[in-house]
Amino acid sequence: MNFYRAQQDARRKTWQLGLLFGGAVLSLIVLTNLLVGVSAFLLSNAGSAQGVDLNLLETIPLEFWAMVSAGVIGVVGLACLYKYFAIRGGGRAVAESLGGTRLLQGTKDYKHKRLLNVVEEMALAAGIAVPPVYLIDEPSINAFAAGMGTDDAVIGINQGTIDLLNREELQGVVAHEFSHIMNGDTRINLRLIMMLHGILFIGLVGYMILRSTGHRRSGRDGNSGLPLLVLGGGLMAIGYGGTFFGNLIKAAVSRQREFLADGSAVQYTRNPQGIGGALKKIGGYVSGSQMLHPNAKEASHMFFGDAVQNRLANFLSTHPPLPVRIKAIEPNWNGEFPAIDAAQLAQQINAENPLASSFSGATVTVAEDDFDVIEQEVAAVNEVVGNPSDESHDNALLVMQSTDSRLIEAAHNPLGAKALAYAMLLSSDPNQRQQQLQWLASQEQLNIPEHTAQLNSLLEESDDLHQITLLRAAMPALKEMSRAQYQKFFRTLVDLIKSDKRIELFEWVLHRLLVKEVRPHFERVKAIRWRYAELDQVASETCVLLSALAQAASDQTAAQEQAFTQGLSSSGVTGKFDASDDPNFARLTTALNRLKQLAPLAKPKLIKACAATVLADANVTVAEGALLQGVAATLDCPLPPAIYRHIS
Amino acid sequence: MEFLIFLGIIAVLVAWVIAIYNKLVALKNQYQNGFAQIEVQLKRRYDLIPNLIETAKGYISHERETLEAVVNARNQAMAGLKAASADPSNGAAMQELASAEGALGSALAKLNVVVEAYPDLKANENMMQLSEEITTTENRVAFARQAYNDQIMEYNTYRQSFPPMVFANMFGHPTDATLLEFEDSEAIQAAPKVSFD
Repeated sequence: MNFYRAQQDARRKTWQLGLLFGGAVLSLIVLTNLLVGVSAFLLSNAGSAQGVDLNLLETIPLEFWAMVSAGVIGVVGLACLYKYFAIRGGGRAVAESLGGTRLLQGTKDYKHKRLLNVVEEMALAAGIAVPPVYLIDEPSINAFAAGMGTDDAVIGINQGTIDLLNREELQGVVAHEFSHIMNGDTRINLRLIMMLHGILFIGLVGYMILRSTGHRRSGRDGNSGLPLLVLGGGLMAIGYGGTFFGNLIKAAVSRQREFLADGSAVQYTRNPQGIGGALKKIGGYVSGSQMLHPNAKEASHMFFGDAVQNRLANFLSTHPPLPVRIKAIEPNWNGEFPAIDAAQLAQQINAENPLASSFSGATVTVAEDDFDVIEQEVAAVNEVVGNPSDESHDNALLVMQSTDSRLIEAAHNPLGAKALAYAMLLSSDPNQRQQQLQWLASQEQLNIPEHTAQLNSLLEESDDLHQITLLRAAMPALKEMSRAQYQKFFRTLVDLIKSDKRIELFEWVLHRLLVKEVRPHFERVKAIRWRYAELDQVASETCVLLSALAQAASDQTAAQEQAFTQGLSSSGVTGKFDASDDPNFARLTTALNRLKQLAPLAKPKLIKACAATVLADANVTVAEGALLQGVAATLDCPLPPAIYRHIS
Repeated sequence: MEFLIFLGIIAVLVAWVIAIYNKLVALKNQYQNGFAQIEVQLKRRYDLIPNLIETAKGYISHERETLEAVVNARNQAMAGLKAASADPSNGAAMQELASAEGALGSALAKLNVVVEAYPDLKANENMMQLSEEITTTENRVAFARQAYNDQIMEYNTYRQSFPPMVFANMFGHPTDATLLEFEDSEAIQAAPKVSFD
């Protein structure tokens, strides 16, 4: 599925859910009012044995009903708010509430290492920051992705998954979870948890009333308790009934997205055996995909396989039945699940060649540069956005393979990752670099300045794009810092960028990426609102962006102008080339801040225009490529590094 | 009417208390996960030490005492790490680890003094590489420890702040978590640097 379409769908689905939720609250209000009416009625008649006084209902003032309604809204609102605060921490909070422990890159454990490698490869191929990985201590085969966006997303994997799946199958599962992240499903899932909790809470209130009257009743004689009993029982019925229907909706939404994610997993890996094999193993394994943690129930729709067994009621299952999912991937499947001998399988996996698991995919081939027609290229760019193919996967592998192992090692631990980011910012001018290092020595302790200098010399041969990939690989390690360390890191980083009194292109891109992908882990970041449905509404900003790209493309004004015109005509808006200097990219930053408020379906046009500008002279310079990365990250359109194979 | 207000107040209070409970759990999770990073790096360091001893043996086998002291201190520290990582909220285990680390640090420092007297050993390719790796790892340990202590502070500060402090005990957070301070941390950081360069 098209990335932009998926994003838009996800957002629309959130709206639909919101509407459904509104309807649910409305019916809750009506039902609760009825219930309170009946209780009040019972209360007034409790003492009198004779006759019913129907007039009573008319004597109740209108405000009373308003109060009841407000009460319901308040209770539901509070419950939602409470849950909102609980999951505001994003993916990390969810993973920890399920008992997950963070896996670290320095680990010695082969299976952990393999999992981290699989996740890293997939993320680099997709062009997003590598998400942190949490290990859940459960024997079954299951996994989940959680988070509000690509930046705070985490991936959780069960112990059973890494014990029983081979690398191919593990890759299939991870690709499935990546699809959830990229298609915006994880966001819907968190919203669903929040809404359902609100409805469920009404039931909890009823339960509490029921219990408290129960206690009182045992003390005194029964009659006066009856209305409260009715009220409590009724509220319980409403709340739990509402939750039941809410779960129906949740299950229906989830089932649909699971199919989509399975399909995307095949697309990302070009290997149906991977995810197919994983599903078959779930079917043949005694523990299946069942989760034991008490919090798993609430999050059942976020998992790879059914977390809660629902043998009786299919319509309550959050996942399509296994055979159906397998058949969708492998139509020729004979319907038999392999018998799983956990001990034997674990041994087999341990016997896998550990070397084959790291960055040595051995048979990696890179497609020859066989594109003559620029048109094709430009059209293809939008297809790769958010859609890592096996080719981009190979490409990510290749990039990491050709990297000095010391750089990779640095990227995989917090101290090294910090020094690596500094090293990327050091000036190419030896004098200036010396000054920067001296200044750094006054700011940082441990051996950070020395480490930075050393990494800087190792980076000499890698171009900007390579460095961006490396930085992405360093994201999980950067997220392992404490908040105080992060704040210090960011301050120093900005000072370093400003130290030469001007911001260079690469510095700008690096800052953009860190702001986009690391900051949400430590600070609250405002969600982006989609204000513009059409590119026309931001025509002047589009011109600023295309001008910047055109300027990066060439030194000659004529060529710049030509590139700009090419891009503009593809965007369909009108405007003028702005050849003037943009000091410190202030103008571009402002423009991008507005452009990121574009609705997803308007973005392909913009990305296409960018590609047309960049490819106008049939060759992408490193500067253009780097700028494009910064732009794409800001616009939330992950660009797989594979598109740069034409770099001269 | 009164009932509704009462209900509302109860609801707010309950939500608030649950929020405190959750925040305590989240902060505890955070620092426990933070310990993992220290563990990874300490393990790396413990793995390097046997190689260091092996290399040094060839030159200074007669300095048995010094070498054995390092090996013993390393084994002690390893045991300490195991106990501490089993439950990072166990203050006693954490202190044990800290003192074992201190002992290892001074044992290594002693070894360095000895090594100084043997230029051949000092110039040994293997030795130089190992000492470089140990220095790097020690720096990483220090950085991870800083992060860990930051997270501990965050947890402790929240636990001691007014409303949470009323409930902390009840919710299973009876004591502050222990900061991980290595007694001899200055020496550890400085020692390998001076000796092998």
